Amino acid sequence: MNTSLFHSTQFNWKAGLLVPGLLLCGVSAASADRLEKHFKVEPNPVVTIHNPDGIITVRAWTKREVMVVANRVSSEVDLEIEQSGNRVDIMTHQVSDTVAPADLHADYEISVPQDAELQIHDDAGAVTVSNVLGDMNVETVAAGVDLQDAAGYLTVKTVGGSFQCIRCSGHLDISSISGSFRLIDLRSNHVHAQTSKGNILFDGQFLPNGNYFLKNYSGDITVRFSPGDSFDLSATSYKGKVNTQAQLTPPAQGHHFWHPKFGNSLFGSLNNFGRAKVDLSSFDGTINILKRD
Amino acid sequence: MATPGCRDFQNSFESWMEGELPPEARAHVSDCRSCARLIEDLSSIRLAANEWNASEEPPARIWTSLRAQLVEEGLIREPQSKQKSGLLHGWFPQTPRPVLAGAYLAALVAIAFSMVGPVKRHVNHQRWMEGTENSTAMLSAQLNTAEQNVELADPNPVITASLHQNLAIVDNYISLCEKSVSEDPEDEVARDYLFDAYHTKADLLAQISERGDYGR
Repeated sequence: MNTSLFHSTQFNWKAGLLVPGLLLCGVSAASADRLEKHFKVEPNPVVTIHNPDGIITVRAWTKREVMVVANRVSSEVDLEIEQSGNRVDIMTHQVSDTVAPADLHADYEISVPQDAELQIHDDAGAVTVSNVLGDMNVETVAAGVDLQDAAGYLTVKTVGGSFQCIRCSGHLDISSISGSFRLIDLRSNHVHAQTSKGNILFDGQFLPNGNYFLKNYSGDITVRFSPGDSFDLSATSYKGKVNTQAQLTPPAQGHHFWHPKFGNSLFGSLNNFGRAKVDLSSFDGTINILKRD
Repeated sequence: MATPGCRDFQNSFESWMEGELPPEARAHVSDCRSCARLIEDLSSIRLAANEWNASEEPPARIWTSLRAQLVEEGLIREPQSKQKSGLLHGWFPQTPRPVLAGAYLAALVAIAFSMVGPVKRHVNHQRWMEGTENSTAMLSAQLNTAEQNVELADPNPVITASLHQNLAIVDNYISLCEKSVSEDPEDEVARDYLFDAYHTKADLLAQISERGDYGR
């Protein structure tokens, strides 16, 4: 069911009175540009959000429902919020082709069950997600992405937006062109992070048999480790530098490591139990492997 | 595992690829599954490379195979009513352009990379350089064509600026990597970064193309 909203507040108010059955759950218009909707959902619901510009905040809660609170800037944008089975789709689109850029803006605050799967597309603005444990796919152009306490299969792709992940776990796949990444207190066994012109900071755990692949063209790649961590490290900056505070054991005899003709490379192991594989590479950036304070 | 016979054979490998088939080498290939497989792979790659150079459009079987893979992976969606004509439309008339653009360009980069990668150790510098130039020139041309077909302008100037800026960043890295590769075409790392940069650009163009179809 499609509930196209905000053509005018008055229209929606009347529609809400006349056809209450049209809405799956309650709708209350607290102000001219605010909408609140609730949807009952089953376990593992899917929530999709398409928004050209705005702040999207998603939080997990304990209720078996999805609550969407939307705020738009003008009536030049239309919001479609609909439920289809166990899926809630949220979309902002312009009413006409002559919308002023400043009007193409809507903010969302969304509460979801912890096991929700999220698919978010927000070109500009910001995306913040906290405590959601389902799989997540976030795509932005300029919007920054901030995840906290997320798990599952996390895929984040930005063009210029930065990415921060605090206390995330699961499988992390991040790519950007000019966005920087900050991975703090991470507890993930698979991290694949690649940006062209951005810094990458990894300050998390190296789980046994985990894979950590960090790559950029320029900018700093900084990895922090604890003395008790165990990993096989390969760090190569083609035209930049590699700095390390780790006391690495050289690769075993007969183990083949390919060395480039140029650049700065470092191969070796730290401790010899439950090794993680850490692969750091940069074209002309600086790679720092630093002991955690 | 390589035996002395394998090493001897690989030393004369280039002659074999040129068509010289001495009896001892033939005997080795008939006994050694590893070398036989290597010959088969490289012959296929050379054949594909020749076909690729023969015309601007890649052979139909590549697209048939690619399409089958896209279907298998669920990347091809149902046809949409508003199809736009373009570079890829004729090859996959039932496939939405943005989906195809991304998959096509990514596949193109992968195919080109696979074609120039494995033969590295077995050809001389000049041939290697020509192979790299051929594949990169083709990729550059395809990406430039794709770039001309996407709409960078967005109602939101922030988005437009970001897309222009990031496209310029990728182009700059492509230039830097091309320079490194031209200085040393056999440098595997430089090639890796170059093809990665092509892939990034292909991905960005596909993303821009997809954006054009939503929210309007």
